[in-house]
Amino acid sequence: MIEWIQRRRGLIAGIVAAILFAIWASSQYEPRVLASILLSGLTLGALYFLVTSGLSLIFGLMDVLNFAHGTIFMIGAYIGFTLYANPRLLLNMLPFVLAFVAGWLLARWLPFSSLPTGHRRPLWVVAVLVGVFAVWGFELAPLATTALSSGGRVPTEQAQAPIGIFIARTVGLAIAGLIAGAAFIIGNEHTRQPAPRDLVLSSGLLALAIIIAPLRLNAEGWILALDSNARFLLALVAGASGGAALGGLMEWSLIRPLYSRPIYQVLVTLGLVFVGTELVKGIWGPGGYFMELPAWFSRRGPSCPSPNLIAWLQDNCASIDVLGRPFPSYRIFIIALGIAMFIGIAVLLRYTRLGMIIRAGVQDSEMVQALGINVRRVFTLVFALGAGLAALGGVAAAPFLGISPGLGQEFQLQAFIAVVIGGMGSFTGAAIGALLVGLARAFGDQIVLTGIQLPWMSEAMTFSPSIARASTVLIMALVLLLRPAGLFGKKE
Amino acid sequence: MRDRFTSSQWAGLALIGGLIIFPFVISLLTGQPVESGVPKFWQGMLIQVFILAVFAMSYDILMGYTGILSFGHALFFGTGAYTIGILLKHAGWDIGSALLSVIVIAIMQSLIVGLLSLRVSGVYFAMVTLAFAQMFFLLAEATDFRQWTGAEDGLQSIPVPAWMSPTTERLRFYYVTLGFATIMYLLARQVVNSPTGRVMMAIRDNEMRASVLGYNTLTFKLIAITVSGVMAALAGAFNALWNLNANPAVLGVGTTINALLMTIIGGVGSLIGPMLGAGVIQLLGYWLNVFFGPSWPLLFGIVYILIVLFLPYGIVGTWRLRSASWLAMWRERSRSLIRFFNHP
Repeated sequence: MIEWIQRRRGLIAGIVAAILFAIWASSQYEPRVLASILLSGLTLGALYFLVTSGLSLIFGLMDVLNFAHGTIFMIGAYIGFTLYANPRLLLNMLPFVLAFVAGWLLARWLPFSSLPTGHRRPLWVVAVLVGVFAVWGFELAPLATTALSSGGRVPTEQAQAPIGIFIARTVGLAIAGLIAGAAFIIGNEHTRQPAPRDLVLSSGLLALAIIIAPLRLNAEGWILALDSNARFLLALVAGASGGAALGGLMEWSLIRPLYSRPIYQVLVTLGLVFVGTELVKGIWGPGGYFMELPAWFSRRGPSCPSPNLIAWLQDNCASIDVLGRPFPSYRIFIIALGIAMFIGIAVLLRYTRLGMIIRAGVQDSEMVQALGINVRRVFTLVFALGAGLAALGGVAAAPFLGISPGLGQEFQLQAFIAVVIGGMGSFTGAAIGALLVGLARAFGDQIVLTGIQLPWMSEAMTFSPSIARASTVLIMALVLLLRPAGLFGKKE
Repeated sequence: MRDRFTSSQWAGLALIGGLIIFPFVISLLTGQPVESGVPKFWQGMLIQVFILAVFAMSYDILMGYTGILSFGHALFFGTGAYTIGILLKHAGWDIGSALLSVIVIAIMQSLIVGLLSLRVSGVYFAMVTLAFAQMFFLLAEATDFRQWTGAEDGLQSIPVPAWMSPTTERLRFYYVTLGFATIMYLLARQVVNSPTGRVMMAIRDNEMRASVLGYNTLTFKLIAITVSGVMAALAGAFNALWNLNANPAVLGVGTTINALLMTIIGGVGSLIGPMLGAGVIQLLGYWLNVFFGPSWPLLFGIVYILIVLFLPYGIVGTWRLRSASWLAMWRERSRSLIRFFNHP
């Protein structure tokens, strides 16, 4: 019994602290205020969870601390918002990406691998030159900003290149992809035999790119003609898949060559924060945007706020009545999204083959490799999964927090704190840490609003939002003092 | 006591001598007086290089010599800047005692932060130090302390004593910062070459082994953090004196990344590397800004990633690795050239 208590000292202390805090909070605030603070905390916690889960999985599996996770969160928000408000930029870029990938795949089918190794470096240079030449003068910024700042509905012909030049650029990028793919194959022993499916896939993608090119003017109108709910769902999917693609690409191109130099992996991700933020500023401008709520969460009227969740399904009010106080229904959606993702990942980790490999890899990835499983591919997959989750969180956060290039930084910091509190590499720890930090932030915001009055104080003490944000660092310091490995982390 | 200088010491002396006469050389070349125009501008550039060089060097004592990756180095730099700003502006102290208290505060701060964050190691340490730096960044921005820190506007117009004002007495300020950088370099070299410095390097190479040999590694890591923190704080203080202000950005992530960039580009694990890196970054940033305008940070980031991927040892490290073969190659080429002229 005593040994049992000793082993779970931290857990017991945590529960006692939580109970004491709950007693204090319920004496301080009336139940309805407390309920909305708790719900706000859950909202933030759900968003933090989407960032921390990926961060923690990536660290647990491959020991890479991804400093660019917040940047991917931010880029996800921008991609989703662009699709939601005006997809012109994305539609103009899609053929280019497709064409490049098509060229790359085609190179695997053609017999390039027999070329001498000396051709490798010149081919890379040629590929970069052709690629740069193909997109030279193609300005992304006007496509993004003019479309967005004028409310989305501007004539589509403006600010878009003529179709001939556009197709030429697309073909140019396909050629650049072909050369780059060839350069990649040369001297790479791990490349598999050329398969016919590469040809099928690549010609399919190229055809898709060529089809989209003339249709992109109309497609913009079609997407904008959809109702806001459908566009919102599309934005979630596009943001998440865009983030996942970026994450996978990042692991494959920049992280993978550096597994022998772990510190340099961290340094590269730090450089990506720089590059990502500047790219976003260059394309979308340094200012912020505001994303409107879809129709499901924005109705106002005499029957609002909805008395409960069931009624909200009928009337789609902007807020729901919680113990007599209206609470935004969109935030309930974020909480639901967070819970759904938690369950989804938990199921993935526990009941699927991939999850089994991931859990085994967290224990000992070399052993998994030795058992004949391609761990590198699992690494890329998990990186993509984590990045996709973060990007999904970014899209979900956009209507709630607004979009700006600095969005990622703040989340990154709080997510780091949450991960340190929860314990690196532990999925449960990531969830609990995110929840704790979210709740701390919500209570901090409330205290900023009304001030705090501790039993020995004669009048309430007030402070600014910055201090509330800084206070989570203190929680982290406390946890570190008591349990350096975090609440759920393994002792080293 | 050695009576003969080695060649690298001669090179160092020549460099310092060159920097001492540099303002007058520029003045001669441009025909403008030393106290204004182009010479004054280039003095300003070099002053920033000197200050950043000390900051980068302090970072390398942690990263390159002790093997501790910190992402919160801006914490010390920024606190130094704010300390001297507040003491000069609000407390009306003289510059000497203000600098002295910068040192005292830096020692206390590095001990506290070090003791807390050294409970974890590796990337955890990086994250925890980042969090501490961010906490101070947020506190500097907090409106609660506006009367002291100026909140998000920062501390403006710090009263720098007239005899070393960076605007009117720039040449003197130039020599003060040059002297500061030189002294800091000599001190850092002393630390690195001392037995303590050897233990730091042992910790970098194999911490387990160092502790098994009987060294209390925590103490030595704390020493490293403290030395590094004091140097960074002094650099921050001089930065505040030079800019005549201290704003929250000096505590931000950007400042730490700057130190990291200078260290990586110059070469990890040497003292002269980060100083060189500071010069490269300052001048490169200036030229990129002139040629590419506002998009230069993007190019900068790309250059940084390429350096991390393909030139991981930085300028000094790559030179040390390759200089012998390069020299041999050029010697061979010049020999064949001579042979060609002798027997065409």
